[in-house]
Amino acid sequence: MLQWLQALVDGVLVGGVYAIVSSGLSLVFGIMGVVNFAHAEFLMVGMFVAWFAWAYLGIDPLLGSLIALVVVFLFGAGIQRTLIRPILKAPQVAQIFLTVGLLFCLENGALLLFGANYRSVSTPYQTESLRLGGIIVSLPYLLAFLMSGLSGGLLWAFLRFSRTGRAMRATALDPMAAKLVGIDTDRMHQIAFGLGVGLTAFGGAVILPYLTVYPAVGAQYVVLMFTVVVLGGLGSVAGAAVGGIAVGVIQAFSALVFPVQLQNLVLFLVFIAVLALRPQGLLKGASA
Amino acid sequence: MTEAVASPRAAALRPGRAVLIAAVLAVALAVPLGLDPQGYPIRVLTLTLLFAAMGQAWNIVGGLANQISLGHAGFFGIGAYASTILLRDFGLSPWLGMLAGMALAALAAAALAVPTFRLKGHYFALVTLAFGEVMRVIANSWSSVTGGPVGLSVPFAPDSLWMFQFGAARPYYYICLGALVAVTLVFWRIKAGALGYRLRAIKENADAAEVIGVDTFRAKLQAGLISATLTAGLGTVYAQFSYFFDPDTIFGVATISVRMALIAIVGGVGLTFGPIVGAFFIIPVEEFANAALAGRAAGLSAFVYGAVLIAVILLKPEGLLALFAALGKRWRERRR
Amino acid sequence: MSSGASDYRSKTFRLGRRAALAAGGAALAMPFVSRAGFAADAVNVGVVQPLSGANAQFGINSRNAIEMVAEEINAAGGIKSLGGARINLIVADSTSTPTTAATVAQRMISQQSVVAVLGAFASSLSLAISEVTERRGIPLLTMSFTDQLTERGFKNVFQIVSKGSVLGRAQVEDSVALARENGEEVRKIAILYEDTAYGTSQAEGLRAAAKGLGLEIAVDEGYPHGITDVTPLVNKLRISGAQLVFPVSYLNDSILIVRTMRQQGVTIPTVGGAAGYVIPDFVQALGDLADGVLSIAPANYDQAPEYTERFRKRFGYFMVHEAIEHAALMGCLVGALEAAKSKDPAAVREALLATTFDSGWATVMTGGTVKFDATGHNANAFPVMVQWQKRELATVFPAKVAKAKAVWPKRG
Repeated sequence: MLQWLQALVDGVLVGGVYAIVSSGLSLVFGIMGVVNFAHAEFLMVGMFVAWFAWAYLGIDPLLGSLIALVVVFLFGAGIQRTLIRPILKAPQVAQIFLTVGLLFCLENGALLLFGANYRSVSTPYQTESLRLGGIIVSLPYLLAFLMSGLSGGLLWAFLRFSRTGRAMRATALDPMAAKLVGIDTDRMHQIAFGLGVGLTAFGGAVILPYLTVYPAVGAQYVVLMFTVVVLGGLGSVAGAAVGGIAVGVIQAFSALVFPVQLQNLVLFLVFIAVLALRPQGLLKGASA
Repeated sequence: MTEAVASPRAAALRPGRAVLIAAVLAVALAVPLGLDPQGYPIRVLTLTLLFAAMGQAWNIVGGLANQISLGHAGFFGIGAYASTILLRDFGLSPWLGMLAGMALAALAAAALAVPTFRLKGHYFALVTLAFGEVMRVIANSWSSVTGGPVGLSVPFAPDSLWMFQFGAARPYYYICLGALVAVTLVFWRIKAGALGYRLRAIKENADAAEVIGVDTFRAKLQAGLISATLTAGLGTVYAQFSYFFDPDTIFGVATISVRMALIAIVGGVGLTFGPIVGAFFIIPVEEFANAALAGRAAGLSAFVYGAVLIAVILLKPEGLLALFAALGKRWRERRR
Repeated sequence: MSSGASDYRSKTFRLGRRAALAAGGAALAMPFVSRAGFAADAVNVGVVQPLSGANAQFGINSRNAIEMVAEEINAAGGIKSLGGARINLIVADSTSTPTTAATVAQRMISQQSVVAVLGAFASSLSLAISEVTERRGIPLLTMSFTDQLTERGFKNVFQIVSKGSVLGRAQVEDSVALARENGEEVRKIAILYEDTAYGTSQAEGLRAAAKGLGLEIAVDEGYPHGITDVTPLVNKLRISGAQLVFPVSYLNDSILIVRTMRQQGVTIPTVGGAAGYVIPDFVQALGDLADGVLSIAPANYDQAPEYTERFRKRFGYFMVHEAIEHAALMGCLVGALEAAKSKDPAAVREALLATTFDSGWATVMTGGTVKFDATGHNANAFPVMVQWQKRELATVFPAKVAKAKAVWPKRG
């Protein structure tokens, strides 16, 4: 029983991070209609930004996450302008393979610039934990979860209440109508893409204290992120939050029942099943 | 994406073109005679032919049925594993093993069609991506049968056509050439035939096609089965040619699935000669990059790979063939 | 495409152009033919290592060592029995893909007529290369662990290290013996391994050894290479009651596992399976947490400091085991060339089998000398147990070669 409770706690904590990392992917799809296969690479970029901020400026990755957010936002906005915008109306083949090409460029660009070595940070809290009864709560996991929750809340408020956020949602719902009422949809797309990849980079930075960064780390998250957004419904940011926690808990529970080796297999099967049965997401209808 | 170049008459074989094809084939048959049968150039040419055939097999779903698969490595690996396991455990000729692998791949494709038949575009690409990964994890974990992550070696045997094994690359060259011709003929038959018309109708407008009585599920399933079966067959060829493979290579997203698609796209999606042109561009460039850079700049060749993909899509989404056609037209016009 | 408008060009011209195109691939593929001719009397030695991709770091370490030894040999007058012929290294990147490894091996065999190939760190790469070298009759000298390499009846593979299964067995038996010396009787152990070729084959050795000693395996878990969350693994470990844990992994996972164990207050002794546990990055990433961590190793630099310190001086980090083993392979190859008095690969192969290598760099391997048995495996090699002490790796077991006393972690 305690085992399951422990797995639940671990799953929720990890899932919170999955949620924020994936909400960026969902945002990009929701507002631009583009599935970004390169999205997980921005997690890697965010981790590198946070690592350099730590190594050269002595900034803790939890704060460095803000730097990662800003830097990658600008980077993403630039990529949107040069690469993504020209293919917004192109056939899906073009969209898919442009972002696949971008994936190769980002991963191997990082390899060219930084080498293949694993890098990690050392922080005072990274080997600490809290004990509640028999349950162990890892401090770096908890901090990453709290940071994710905070930024998730801010994102929600931004989309809900700010002028820009409302304009973005309008663009998502009906680009034509949005244009008619005077919304600069081009600009909205650029902000959405920048924000989407920025959030993912932010997520990468907050998990750096308990992980290592290397050019291929994004590959570990590709299917995971897609599973999260598909579970929550492609394009739904709120769905990504629920999907993230769900995936975290599924992973933690599956480790109790199946060999850890099959962890990803379980994930893939959930993914295929959801796409086959409810491609619109488990939550569609319940939330937007 | 392709209709601008491939007019509906494209399939009709004009006499001029027939002569050209015969000439190219004759050259292809003659080239190995001038090369060291165990050498490096013939090995690269053989790999090029093999990848051209793989791109062509992908082209059946990706080009004709407009279903963007990112998981063809799944079928490729099924072919390689099936024939090699049967050879290892029962001494079965890889040619028979190839048939078994093709049958298995057809089953897998049929099973995959159940969850994917309603899916389009991104969703289809995502599910196929996951399918390829599922196959990789299975091969990796099911060690007692697949040899696990250590990979599988094709048992050493003396030169023999029946056992599909040769010390030199030259016989493999001809086998791969034969495979390429066969897959291309299949592609061409489908494109020119009734199935091709149905697929084109679905591609243009699926709902309209349904209304005029095209069984869209059936048409897509047929294309998917043929493509998967051919891909599995090529997987066996690959296993016999490289003598060794492991799950990460044979089920690789970048090394197999994306490369198959890339070859078709670079050459010209949906065009009969697209994958051939694509392979003769991509594979030598990769080899050249590896030979020239020799690790002095790790990752550069893969980076260039991605950049080429982006460049093709931004500049000439119809592929190299269309580029050549445009250049040729301009050149001729200037000469007039 | 050649549409109908081809009439004004002669067919023969077109044919010629197509032929040129077809041959173009071949022409492209041999950019360095001209290079092969230089230094007529030099001995070409192929070096295939993963210089890019996931194993790049290890490939680069290996290449560094090989280049250093080759330079030393050349500076000392080259191969004397061949009239002072210089060693000319042909280095190529295998990437992390077996097919590419085989292709580059093929390239150097047919274009540079190498006498032997050294490579390629990862077992999957070496296996793929061996398929090519065997068919061409070129000796492949390797330090990959996997048992398969020398168990397929191949005649041209030379494996200088203890096999994976032997390493796994030593990892268990040596640590149980060490525990006993420190007053602890081990009954229950835990095995955590990454599901790569290296991880799974070593785990098999661990299992076999545990069975042989009658130990209970409380946890036996493989996990995907590059795992991002090891909490489930450490949770299982914590409640298992295991007295020793044997993690087998590269760097990324080893860092995660050691840190998470500390987080959860798991203090049982950790005995790593080489790879990620015996490289400078391990101590760099973990700092004081690394202290006391044990690992099995196929070789260690404190066994022959008079040689290995040259490496540290030149490259700035201690001579990691793959570098030691590749240097020793180079030493053997030089010895074989001297004995064969020939650049013929078949003669070199004979010499490799016939000679006991007991001088120069060949002596840095465990066992002090190298002798390949009929299968091509170095019968003299044995694994050693090493421990992180004050940021250096000290050999602590077996006693005959130990350079320091093991510090047995206090249970708390």
